[in-house]
Amino acid sequence: MRGGLVLSTERMDRILSIDEENLVAVVEPGVVTETLKTEARKRGLFYPPDPASLKFCTIGGNIAECAGGMCAVKYGVTRDYVRGLEVVLGTGEFVRTGVSTVKGVVGYDLTRLLVGSEGTLGIVTKAVLKLIPLPEAAATILSFFRNNHDGSKAVVGIFGERITPCALELMDRTAIDCVRENAGLSIPEDAGCALLIEVDGPKQSVTGEADRVEQACRKYGAIEVGRAADVEGRERLWTLRRSISPALRRVNPVKINEDIVVPRSRLPEMLAFLGDLASRKRLKIVNFGHAGDGNIHVNLMISGTDEEERIRADEAVAEVFRKTISLGGTISGEHGIGIAKAPFLEMEVGPLGVSVMKRLKGCFDPNGILNPGKIFVEEGVVNR
Amino acid sequence: MKGEDFTTLTAACAKCGMCRTVCTLYPERKAEISVARGKVTLVEAAYSGRDGNAEALQEALSDCLLCGKCERECPNEVAVEEIIMKGRADLAEKLGIPAWKQVVFGKVMPSAGVKDAARTAAAASQKLFLRKMPTESGLHYRFPSAFGLSGRTVPALPGKSFLGSLPPGEAVRGEVILFVGCVFDHVFPQVGRAAYETLRLSVKGISVFRDAPCCGLPALVSGDRPSALRCVEENVRRLSDASPERIVFPCGSCLVMFRRNMLFLLPSGHPLHGEAVRVADRCVDYASFLLETDVLSRLSDRPKGEWAGQVGYHDPCHLSGTLGKGPEGREVLRRTVGDSYSELRGAELCCGYGGTFNIRDYPTSAKIGQNKVSVAAGGGTAVIATACSGCILQMRDMAARTDPSLRVVHIAELVSQAFSSR
Repeated sequence: MRGGLVLSTERMDRILSIDEENLVAVVEPGVVTETLKTEARKRGLFYPPDPASLKFCTIGGNIAECAGGMCAVKYGVTRDYVRGLEVVLGTGEFVRTGVSTVKGVVGYDLTRLLVGSEGTLGIVTKAVLKLIPLPEAAATILSFFRNNHDGSKAVVGIFGERITPCALELMDRTAIDCVRENAGLSIPEDAGCALLIEVDGPKQSVTGEADRVEQACRKYGAIEVGRAADVEGRERLWTLRRSISPALRRVNPVKINEDIVVPRSRLPEMLAFLGDLASRKRLKIVNFGHAGDGNIHVNLMISGTDEEERIRADEAVAEVFRKTISLGGTISGEHGIGIAKAPFLEMEVGPLGVSVMKRLKGCFDPNGILNPGKIFVEEGVVNR
Repeated sequence: MKGEDFTTLTAACAKCGMCRTVCTLYPERKAEISVARGKVTLVEAAYSGRDGNAEALQEALSDCLLCGKCERECPNEVAVEEIIMKGRADLAEKLGIPAWKQVVFGKVMPSAGVKDAARTAAAASQKLFLRKMPTESGLHYRFPSAFGLSGRTVPALPGKSFLGSLPPGEAVRGEVILFVGCVFDHVFPQVGRAAYETLRLSVKGISVFRDAPCCGLPALVSGDRPSALRCVEENVRRLSDASPERIVFPCGSCLVMFRRNMLFLLPSGHPLHGEAVRVADRCVDYASFLLETDVLSRLSDRPKGEWAGQVGYHDPCHLSGTLGKGPEGREVLRRTVGDSYSELRGAELCCGYGGTFNIRDYPTSAKIGQNKVSVAAGGGTAVIATACSGCILQMRDMAARTDPSLRVVHIAELVSQAFSSR
């Protein structure tokens, strides 16, 4: 994009401290997320955010994007674990924000403003992160349904049981078909929707919660329910979910990946809309994702060589966003705005929202040198 | 190679970064350019005309061990090794072979205390070493004049190569062909001999591939496509005419050249492609073949006690990874040395040799290699057995530098020993 520099903080990769009394970690931005999770786990502590890229993404990137992940449904996203930051602004000034304590209301909450700002406001050089005690046990349940309708009703039903799973993933028929042969699991022929559910907590409560999750699945029409409580068994069930993204290109080579969120009670309606949209627009749409928090990865799979198909896909994306907002949702749960979604920013936040954001940007980066062309539409940038 | 061929190869890369988690070089470099994702991005840029800095691209593509760990980890199965090898060849044609490969013969500083086969060679024997290497063999890629960097231990060149020691009438026909490979013929002829003798016990007759051209791998990874092509064409022609069905390889690097890389040079459409595929299908690693013949069942009285748990198997990146032959090597060891065998700590860690990489950046290669053998020794291993000439060259050098009591051998040497002491 118009030349420029890429600034990488990957060599600032030290965990400066893990305070086991105050449950706080201080890290540099280049620490790989999994490294922090592993170090915390060694001490019986838990850093929950778990984006799919956790093996190679860094805390700095997670903060810039406000990364989510599978367990956001119960534990929240990166934002919920950042207490304070050290940041270099676009002016070269160095600012410390937030606190290292549980509470703190001194002035504006700049920390939360910076988390998810996509590198447009400042460069994180240090972060103070919250840790929590490591859950004692977990159990994983994989259930298959005939269709998205039954599956998404079950999602709502599980919360109706007053259970908050630590992961609740949904995969639609196209997603299941991508991995049917390679996941190493027996998948029922008529499976049109799968839910992967994990519950965690104290040992004695996990079994009971898993039982109730299974009952809820059956109540909403599950055709098959499987369960594992040991590490290997759980890992085997998870392979179904993990194999999907890499297998998508079997459907079509180019992926337009949206990550809308709707209130989970509106999931049945949203999924029905997506099914109808795919046939109306003659597109291959694969839906899967973190249904427990209403976050669905809508993947429009296109050939990449057919311009007419590309136009239909662009129209479909706009329709998906309009529907999402009308259901009380948001057009991006964890991927952010970047370049591709910049034209849709105003659709969700309104002209005044955009204006306030731009004014804030001017405070932090008056010269507009930090990640130009991102979030806001700029002349000369192709937003695709 | 044309731009569109590269586009097909690189299009599969989603730039996810999974390659970085397994890259042997990344922990040393901590730079995106050392990782497959970075290299693929540069190749894409170069071939789409966005960035034409050929020297920088050549430098980036040279900085790779070709261990292939990224390729095997890649969820989208991007053919990273093929991209890098073809890119190196393209750039060599454009810019010439990089300067670091054309070095003046240097003075060798002998280092003390180094024993066994990995002896430091004095300058005189180095000259002899280079002179004695057949010019057509791939060894001049493995040991260019740059090999004379100080501090390095190099194997002393034995008086006679393995094939040179065979009487003319011996091993001319048989059920199988033994493809010894340059290193196990000229540098470690005792390995060629051990593979030959143990195969002879397992089948009725064995023929060796005399005056064999190099497998072509050293030339290919150096970007010398014409030489690599000459090697594989001659190999394919001669082996197509040879009647024995199976072709047995004691060296995993030669084998991956035959089973996979050869087809990068002879792709479908090439007049020799069909023959190459048929030859590739006949090629098998030493361990798998030995297990097929069941000759090891004759070793019923396996030694006990003395070496308990101190013999381990190192996974050559391509033999165990790309070709999936890790279990076979271990099984041969288990059945040969009995309870002396145990799993090597860090068995899958790359030795850091990387062929031309070892010449290009010896300090980094040595750092990776020394870590490899230290981790193994730290796990209680006294003998590292493996089945690749590059790994053996590297690990003997590294053992000499870190722990001279550590032995590095080919599995065939242990099999041969077990039969002779029976």
